[in-house]
Amino acid sequence: MDRKYTILAIILIVASFGLLILPEKDGTRETSPSKMLIQLNDRARFLSTDQVTERIIEADPTLQLIDLRPESEFRIFALPGAINIPLDSLLSPQNLNILAQRAKDKVLYSNGSIESDLAWQICTIFGHPRVFIMEGGLNQWYLTVIKGMEPSATASSKELNLHSFRLAARQFFVGGDAEPDAPEKPVQPKQKIKVVKQEPTPSAGGGC
Amino acid sequence: MVGPLIPMNYIPQAWDNVFALILGMGFGITLEASGFSSSRKIIGTFFGYDFVVLKVFFTAAITAMLGLLYFSYMGWIDYSMLFIQPTFVASAVIGGIIMGIGFSMGGYCPGTSFCGLAIGKLDALTFTVGMFVGVFIFSETFPLIEKMYNSGNLGNVLITDSLGISKALFAFLLVVAAVGMFFVASRLERRIKKVEY
Repeated sequence: MDRKYTILAIILIVASFGLLILPEKDGTRETSPSKMLIQLNDRARFLSTDQVTERIIEADPTLQLIDLRPESEFRIFALPGAINIPLDSLLSPQNLNILAQRAKDKVLYSNGSIESDLAWQICTIFGHPRVFIMEGGLNQWYLTVIKGMEPSATASSKELNLHSFRLAARQFFVGGDAEPDAPEKPVQPKQKIKVVKQEPTPSAGGGC
Repeated sequence: MVGPLIPMNYIPQAWDNVFALILGMGFGITLEASGFSSSRKIIGTFFGYDFVVLKVFFTAAITAMLGLLYFSYMGWIDYSMLFIQPTFVASAVIGGIIMGIGFSMGGYCPGTSFCGLAIGKLDALTFTVGMFVGVFIFSETFPLIEKMYNSGNLGNVLITDSLGISKALFAFLLVVAAVGMFFVASRLERRIKKVEY
């Protein structure tokens, strides 16, 4: 037989045998419990509703809001630019691409903080980069940004600045009358919900 | 299509078609260079005078398989991001029979027929026209066969999962089997008198 084919065949067999005898490697890149504990104690994963609001208004391209609520709730209202990944489908393959992207800050939110924190822990175990939580969730967002309490007369300038930012943000989300003495009824923002559709997984072509 | 670079946003989505074109050209060149544009060469596998189809496809399969397994071991490729065609039992059996008949009668499979067409083979032209007629008939009768088409869905199963063996062991066995086949095939080719084609 041709010599070069013999050599190629030997290389192939050796290479495949190499796979067999390679030491078992922990394929799952799970975060170890000790590292997890350090990350859990780090409050840097929480972003305040004001921080998130500011980035939404600035149309920050590195911001990826992820809505963890069920689809029915997502359809009624969601933050602009958010995509819906219900907590139970967090690990489905089509959502992996969204969570694993390095170029964006994934900000998780739900009605409160508990679901976001659970999802954050799962994402951290899987080693997904740049995952954050909107602290307090949509409830806190509504209280601070849409409802926004008027600061007391003795409030510091920092608080006053924050309040005027919130007023401006309210105008951005609700539009129209954003005066502090406006009737404080639950406002259903008319903002058009922008649903970012994830491209379907590209299917492989035919055989030959 | 070009995972993992595009899904991970290392390369913009817009490059998808460019890569598809480059990869397609590479595939075409390899097919033509292996002699796959000749239906008589391809059909040799069934008549036992030329085993180039067996050799080329098995070499491609085991090279890609070893590459994937090593890349995955190094952590360069994430298995879970690979698309695995779902298995439909009935469709696979019937489609396989139709494909096999067409392959052995026409001497081409879809990819190689375009390869033959590109260098101006008339039999490849006939085959390609027939293929589009078949696609047309399939599309028009699809509502009738849709139920059968979607039956027996096993999902994205892998042979290693159904056999319960590790990927590395399966890879090793496949490589040994492939090399064994190459050896037998070249023995056979030498024994059979030269067929002019």
